Amino acid sequence: MSETSVLTQGQKTRIWIEANLLGRLAPAVTLLAYLFLFVPIVVLVAYSFNASRSTVVWSGFTFDWYGEVFKDRGLRQALQVSAIIAFVSALVSTAIGALTALAIVRRRFPGRDALATLLLAPMVLPEIVMAVALLVFMVALNITLGYFSMIVSHVLITVPFATLIVRAAAASLDRRLEEAAADLGANEWQIFWRVTFPLLLPPIVTAFLLAATLSFDNFVMSTFTSGVGTTPLPLRIYSMLKLGITPKINALGALMVLLNVLVVVAVMGRHLKLILKK
Amino acid sequence: MKTTKTLLLGVASAGALLLGFSAASAEELHIYAWADEVPQAVLDDFSKETGIEVTLDTFDSNESLIAKLEAGASGYDLIEPSQYAVQILAKKGLVENLDHAKLPNRANLSDVFQNISFDPGNKVSIPFIWGTTGFAYNSDCVKEPITSWKSLWDEQYKGRIYMLDNMLAAYIAGLQVNGFKANTTNPDEIAKATQSLIDQKPLLAGYNASNFADLVSSGEACIVEAWSGNVLQAIEENPKVHYVLPDEGGTMWVDGFSIPKGAKNTDAAYKFLNYVLQPEVAAKVTTLTKVASAVEKSKALLPKELAENTAVFPPADRLAKADFILDLGDAMKHYQDGWTKVKATE
Amino acid sequence: MGAMANRRGFIVTLLMLAPSTVLIAVFLIAPMLIVLGYSFAGRDAYGGIVPGFNLDSYRELFQPLYFPIFWNSVKLAFWNTVLCVLTAYPIAYFIAFRAGRFAPVLLILMLIPFWIDFLIRISAWVVLMGRNGMINSVLTATILDEPARMLGTYGAVLVGLVYAFLPSAVFPIYAALQPIDRALLEAGRDLGAGPVQNFRRVTLPLSMPGVMAACLFVFVPSMGVFAIPVLLGGGKSIIIGNLIVQLFLDFRNMPLGSAVSVVLLVFSSLGILLYMRALRRVEAARA
Repeated sequence: MSETSVLTQGQKTRIWIEANLLGRLAPAVTLLAYLFLFVPIVVLVAYSFNASRSTVVWSGFTFDWYGEVFKDRGLRQALQVSAIIAFVSALVSTAIGALTALAIVRRRFPGRDALATLLLAPMVLPEIVMAVALLVFMVALNITLGYFSMIVSHVLITVPFATLIVRAAAASLDRRLEEAAADLGANEWQIFWRVTFPLLLPPIVTAFLLAATLSFDNFVMSTFTSGVGTTPLPLRIYSMLKLGITPKINALGALMVLLNVLVVVAVMGRHLKLILKK
Repeated sequence: MKTTKTLLLGVASAGALLLGFSAASAEELHIYAWADEVPQAVLDDFSKETGIEVTLDTFDSNESLIAKLEAGASGYDLIEPSQYAVQILAKKGLVENLDHAKLPNRANLSDVFQNISFDPGNKVSIPFIWGTTGFAYNSDCVKEPITSWKSLWDEQYKGRIYMLDNMLAAYIAGLQVNGFKANTTNPDEIAKATQSLIDQKPLLAGYNASNFADLVSSGEACIVEAWSGNVLQAIEENPKVHYVLPDEGGTMWVDGFSIPKGAKNTDAAYKFLNYVLQPEVAAKVTTLTKVASAVEKSKALLPKELAENTAVFPPADRLAKADFILDLGDAMKHYQDGWTKVKATE
Repeated sequence: MGAMANRRGFIVTLLMLAPSTVLIAVFLIAPMLIVLGYSFAGRDAYGGIVPGFNLDSYRELFQPLYFPIFWNSVKLAFWNTVLCVLTAYPIAYFIAFRAGRFAPVLLILMLIPFWIDFLIRISAWVVLMGRNGMINSVLTATILDEPARMLGTYGAVLVGLVYAFLPSAVFPIYAALQPIDRALLEAGRDLGAGPVQNFRRVTLPLSMPGVMAACLFVFVPSMGVFAIPVLLGGGKSIIIGNLIVQLFLDFRNMPLGSAVSVVLLVFSSLGILLYMRALRRVEAARA
């Protein structure tokens, strides 16, 4: 307590501000923000068990809406379309992203910075402009809208993310391991497949999962590039919303939360346990 | 590392499964229709009877249907445009001429629909269902019966009115409230209607062409401009909802099927057309969607209360007053500019 | 030998870069050029493209008719950016400096809502903000007599936008705060700098690039949004995104739609340029 006497009034004020503004404001805002993010989801999940058709008035508990989700053929088809597109586009964009990232980190070539910047363009350009451009392009070239156009559009917007993730990991990779392999007589190809690739696998998997998630959730691109029999899940949901919001939509949302929590636990499970045990 | 590998493997096999799953094919039929107008149950029955696998995609405005077709979304075998869209598609050469030899059940169509103004003789389209555009209100909020478009400009419902989020549909109210025809091509009349719609904007809760039936049924809205088909299901669940074909006339619409140019499965398409033209199937469509069928004989097969429901089958004298929107040609530009102005006004 | 290895290395580099270069050139740049071309083309009465070069679309676009839409878009994007960044900064600060070992958990939690379909999330807000919705039930039970109208208001659109863009602001700021050397702050403290001074002189300047990136990631995309103004705002005040959808998908006016897209592209590029200039200035000041 004797310390306080040394402090001037101004310093005291500063400490008070620190304690209150930085010390309390930050956690308070964080708490409120997480409430803001999660309250709608909790309400959404809760009402997926509502016995009546309403998403406002609670009238009893039921699992029926989950049955409805599984029975809906249109929804199943849309899910299938979205899964195929998410899988293929994530695969393609991870492959392209990984190759590009390695080239940018490891190789010297003219226009390297320009290419690195250009590749980020799809991240900052308004999605709707790219979507419109692709639609116009496909029409001009007489390309039928469908899986191809959708996959291309999804690859375009997910490649920057895949590149960034792999690039960050590749930049911090310990090159001595590769040099050691070279000293032991391994050729470039062997070094890549036996050393570099395994080391980069975790970020590549992360990139794949992120790309798949972004593609699965994409609405804007798909609005313009989807074609015959290739209505993806978000577009199907949009037309379901048009007929009114029923607990069936909530049930679908709840299933998505469940699926994603499962994926997170599968990928990060061990890591999470370590964090919480510490 | 091991977990990531198993995960990758799992994802890969799931993907392969899905791809393989979709590759299995029987005879197929791709339909592009208004959301909620072709009941899934009817499609399932059709598949069971014929073994044809049906894929249904949906749209929510004639304009987006036309845009998608123009954008080269070839691959549909049947599309479901409304009357004026049929005319536009025919003019642009985007639909096939129908082969009446393959359509024996066309005889089941009422005479009116066999010789309808926008496509006399069913050259390119087979009318499927018809309904009206008017408004719906919730009697919890609107205490006495209302019958005129003027109620959508009534201050006492401020903030509780929704208009259809569809250019031509909104102009029906805007034009008719001024005493004009809903299918006018006169720029001055369109300009007046535009002004009425702008004046109305402060009173509106919004524009909505999707869940407006829900909004009026839940009491979120007092009055919504509405397509008859969408609200009739809400009326069945909530007796407080009423549908009105307004005194000024409202409009009648017809949604029918056409075969787009370049359709691959035309045989399946004709099979489907003949299928839905059967009175029993048409009756099932009406029962499920509460929308009147173009097959008049189906009316006799309907439950009595549905056949007598004046919201589904308005009395002949009221129907005679309803306008019928056809292709507006160059006047479309005035509508589009006006609508942009309405939407842009704060 | 050396030349051979060099040449081989060059070919490998080319092969590695080929997929991304082709992707960008064919599916981003070429389409954009076609859009640019179409914005100067004419159109027939039924929406077909008539090749040619004229400025009609731009002339049409710069009529008073469209000004409210552009102004509205910029305004909405601006307020969304301000709200997102002001909220995101304390969150990122907390996660970076105070959350300790829970930081990764908080970051993952922030992403979970984004794994539910975007439209389903927005529909949850439609339900919450309804006349009979939960927010109104709480309000009427406590302070209000009549349910407040929330759906179809400007505020509702802003809530939806902040809900959609908050993480886009948190992550770049967090990424800038996280590597700040704790020793630097300690040093500041030892030199007698108060925490606020420390924050103002050390933390804030060092995190500025993150704040600017956050502004960019929120401001530019929010002008192209179209579903939120429709679902939460009742479609009453439309922004550039809605205008583009309307022109392409409803009016079939590809030249005008292309012109609007070009304008939006110019706006966005301006935003990006401003960002890069500001970033350079910050980095120059630091060096």
